[in-house]
Amino acid sequence: MHQPASITSSLAFVIPEIILVVSICITLVLGLFLKQNKSAVLVLVTGVAMLTAICFVVWNWPHQPEPIFAGTLRTDDFAAFFRVLFLSGGSLTLFISLQKESATEYVILIQAIVLGACLLAMSMHFATVLVSLELVSLSGYVLAGFAFNKSSSEGSMKYFLMGSVATACLVYGVSLIYGITGTLDFSSQQFVDTLIQSQSGLILIAAFLILAAVLFKITAVPFHLWAPDVYQSAPTPVVAFLSVVPKLAGLVLFIKIVLAFNLFGQATLDWRVVIAGISILSILIGNLSALAQTNPKRMLAYSSIAQAGFLLAGVATLDLAGIHATMFYAVVFLLMNLLAFTTLHFFEKWKALPTMAHFAGLGRVAFIPASALVIALVALTGLPPTAGFTAKLLVFSSLWSAWADSGLTVLLILFIVGLLNTVVALYFYLKIPYYLFLKETPPGTASIKISFTGNLLVIILVIAIIWLFLNPGLLMGWINRITFVL
Amino acid sequence: MTETDFLFYLGVLLFCSGLMIVFTKKNALLILMGIELMLNAANLNLVVFNRQQTGMDGQLFALFVILVAVCEAAVGIAIILRVYHYYKSAVPDQVSDLKEHE
Repeated sequence: MHQPASITSSLAFVIPEIILVVSICITLVLGLFLKQNKSAVLVLVTGVAMLTAICFVVWNWPHQPEPIFAGTLRTDDFAAFFRVLFLSGGSLTLFISLQKESATEYVILIQAIVLGACLLAMSMHFATVLVSLELVSLSGYVLAGFAFNKSSSEGSMKYFLMGSVATACLVYGVSLIYGITGTLDFSSQQFVDTLIQSQSGLILIAAFLILAAVLFKITAVPFHLWAPDVYQSAPTPVVAFLSVVPKLAGLVLFIKIVLAFNLFGQATLDWRVVIAGISILSILIGNLSALAQTNPKRMLAYSSIAQAGFLLAGVATLDLAGIHATMFYAVVFLLMNLLAFTTLHFFEKWKALPTMAHFAGLGRVAFIPASALVIALVALTGLPPTAGFTAKLLVFSSLWSAWADSGLTVLLILFIVGLLNTVVALYFYLKIPYYLFLKETPPGTASIKISFTGNLLVIILVIAIIWLFLNPGLLMGWINRITFVL
Repeated sequence: MTETDFLFYLGVLLFCSGLMIVFTKKNALLILMGIELMLNAANLNLVVFNRQQTGMDGQLFALFVILVAVCEAAVGIAIILRVYHYYKSAVPDQVSDLKEHE
């Protein structure tokens, strides 16, 4: 098991990750020598690397569940699905950043986060969880400060301090679990057996410490306090990235760890109640706080806290249908959040927009980005004709059937809270469209120039969001074939 | 009380004092020290619990934790230095330009 032969044979399963590592090294060296067109070349190199990595993951479909590297990682379809998602999120973000003068470090950090997220999706052992989670977190702390101004440094410090405390809690929780079970491999039989036998209250403390660190990444209430400050102060492409890839990476880890602690339904605590509670809190607090915001990025930060609640709502059922619905939601969330932040980035490059009132009448001078932003916000609300509606429908229907099966009241409460909050969300999401199209354009407003590639990216994302509404069967069929075993 | 129990309670004490430092101390560098204390409590646990096991998993994991703590301190101090450069202070309470309803 621990022989070098098993390591070399494992390498074949992580070719996408190896490509990323090589590409990080290449960008590092290229960044030293390139003088002209630095950002374009670097983005091109990493873009090609990520696309090749995506091709490798898709090419090897379906992935047989196979423990690699002495059982610390495992390849399966569930992990592969999210690896594709992370790699696409990373390449789309680089595409947005193409238009700004990006330093070598920026490209490297983005790749490091994607690498960490991909490894996290495959982790089956607390050691790999720790290392890949920290790869995501540490690069995220630095990226949050990449606007190189006063407020950005502040956001970065707050993110770092809270994030480090979360990591310390995770490590302490893992040490307790190690004391109880004697193993760090949370997919092993020994882990399940010892936890079922043990009645120690320490298990709950340890589980909550570990899950706190994971929920911190998902920005679920009550671990969301860093999100508004970081989202408001960090550069917009970075926010687009941080709100998608680390969050979904946290979600993958959350699903795995909760299923491990659920012990196939034999746990003393009903985890569905806990997850549903967190989900309800996130939806309520995220939406109600978003109502009061005037800064568009801060509003989107609270909106993404509420979206985290919806992502967790599918997990709260703890059955395959719910997790499939969450996976569909994750894809749609990636598309709509990236679209919202990309269009916001285009507007911000043109002029500073500290409040939503600054959007007054801009819909007439920049029709394509403005209407794309409207579509993104409609999708985030969860209205047709966008995939946001389909995703919410799937999550809610899985919740409904889980409630019908189990009769667990908290799932019904979550269902009702989720539905009501769609109405609340309508009010704050549609504030920006209201200013964009229904207010008068201030006199002397020059029209916005957006590059061809920028418009192309926006249009592709819009088409994807609407196409997934009209034709969700293809993606859903793909997801439904993914079986999930711990 | 066996030795393992004693060392476990020592770990609890270390973790709790670390957490208390994080919540009560004002300076970002002191908060960083509190975090290190929490991580070391975990390391102590891992090494102590490893004595009852056959493998070396716990001790190896402790090595990973030390490694991660070093990286975290390096990144953290760089970030705090940058904040100090702008605000002339490393006290999070005084570094608060970002607030609700600006």
